[in-house]
Amino acid sequence: MTTLFLNAVATLVFCAPGYPGAAGDAQPYVDQFAKAAATSAGWSAGSLAAAYDPTEAGGLQKLGNPDSVLTFIPYAFYVQYGAQLHLAPLAQADVADVGTQERWTLVGKAGGAADAASLAGYTIVSVAGYAPEFVRHSALQAWVLPADVKIEATGQILSALRRVLSGEKVLVLLDQTQSAALPTLPFAAQLKTLTQSAPLPVALVAVIDARVPAPRAKAFQAALLKLSAAAGGADALGALHLKGFVMPQLPADTGKP
Amino acid sequence: MKLRATGWMSTGAIMLLLGACAAAPKSKPKNLASASVEDLAAAIAADSERSDGGVDAKTREQLAADADGDAQACLQLAPKAAACLYYHAVALGLQARAHPLRANELLKTMLESLTAAQAADPDYDKAGPDRVKALVLVRAPGWPLGPGDVDAGLAAARRAVQLQPQHPPNQLALAEALSKTGDSNGAREAYQHARELAQVLPASADRDDWLKQADQGLGLQR
Repeated sequence: MTTLFLNAVATLVFCAPGYPGAAGDAQPYVDQFAKAAATSAGWSAGSLAAAYDPTEAGGLQKLGNPDSVLTFIPYAFYVQYGAQLHLAPLAQADVADVGTQERWTLVGKAGGAADAASLAGYTIVSVAGYAPEFVRHSALQAWVLPADVKIEATGQILSALRRVLSGEKVLVLLDQTQSAALPTLPFAAQLKTLTQSAPLPVALVAVIDARVPAPRAKAFQAALLKLSAAAGGADALGALHLKGFVMPQLPADTGKP
Repeated sequence: MKLRATGWMSTGAIMLLLGACAAAPKSKPKNLASASVEDLAAAIAADSERSDGGVDAKTREQLAADADGDAQACLQLAPKAAACLYYHAVALGLQARAHPLRANELLKTMLESLTAAQAADPDYDKAGPDRVKALVLVRAPGWPLGPGDVDAGLAAARRAVQLQPQHPPNQLALAEALSKTGDSNGAREAYQHARELAQVLPASADRDDWLKQADQGLGLQR
């Protein structure tokens, strides 16, 4: 792996399934972040490239590339694929207007299903629906879902909420930003909160499959933790709507890769 | 992600290909000092076309500023004219591309301007207000990160097609909206219809572009 760093440009892969944005649009921002973080870590100029992929399949493909050594992912992605990809968290993102942790909220139609036992035949729709492990065992850990509950990924939360209102057997799992905005919807009164998760990490930076030697990983981790005070760091963070990073604080039951 | 999505995905990613939504002008008028509504609209459309042509960030910013100035002049001249309201919306789209951190706010104003243009003359630019509105709603990040709403976008695209069914861009907008709402069969039919409509038109750069978009859409759907 050390050879990789001597001979090739390592890549930090940003992957955010379900959220809007095309790779080309995000590229200047992820480039800026990679440059600032690498400089702060004392890595040589140009030694860390960045790539963004908004799709689950595309992100997984990029993460499988041997040049991909680091990744920036939502916590849901980590729960779903962390063990498979041997992801080792280095730092936890502090997201502007959200924080280092967030609660996920399950909403349904007022007067509809009220508890886990009544969800037989339902579909849970969420931006994190690509990560059923996360939905079942992290976000809805307190609920034992019936086996026939389906989990569906969507980037169109408003459409999903309309499906709830129309009487479909659908519930929507909202992230913190979405649940905070719920009262702004004209039909908010027709929805009800069924349950809420414990605080969970929002996003993580992780090493992929030990592809970064330990000393370099440690230097990068230290750089992330102090990035907001580093030259160009605040701008790079701000462009990604980040305030900084803290040490990973994973829930005790998060599977170890 | 919210860094994921609230921030960079909702701003950087919101830089839409809005210029392509409006009809391209043939040339930019040289003297705008005593410009008419038509001159100012053509000037904004020319800026939009240039901005689509892969210019650098500084030039894009300048084009957006020029378009904004022309849009304001147009609105002063004829505040209720569909042309001024429509091209004001196009100018706002250029600003959203040039200033991604303000994109959400600009796109919301853009949608309001398109609604006003639609009320003034729904047929303007061959149902342009509904067509552009459809594309903004379909392409922009959705609630709560941005003004995107694929259901409303599909409704706007259907209105555009109802008003001007023979105009290929309206069929292309409908195809895109159907695709985003998961109706791949409907999308394929609309792309095919757009292709057939474009094929019988006289040769032009617009026709070539519409055919290309239809072919790309059909390829994606296959």
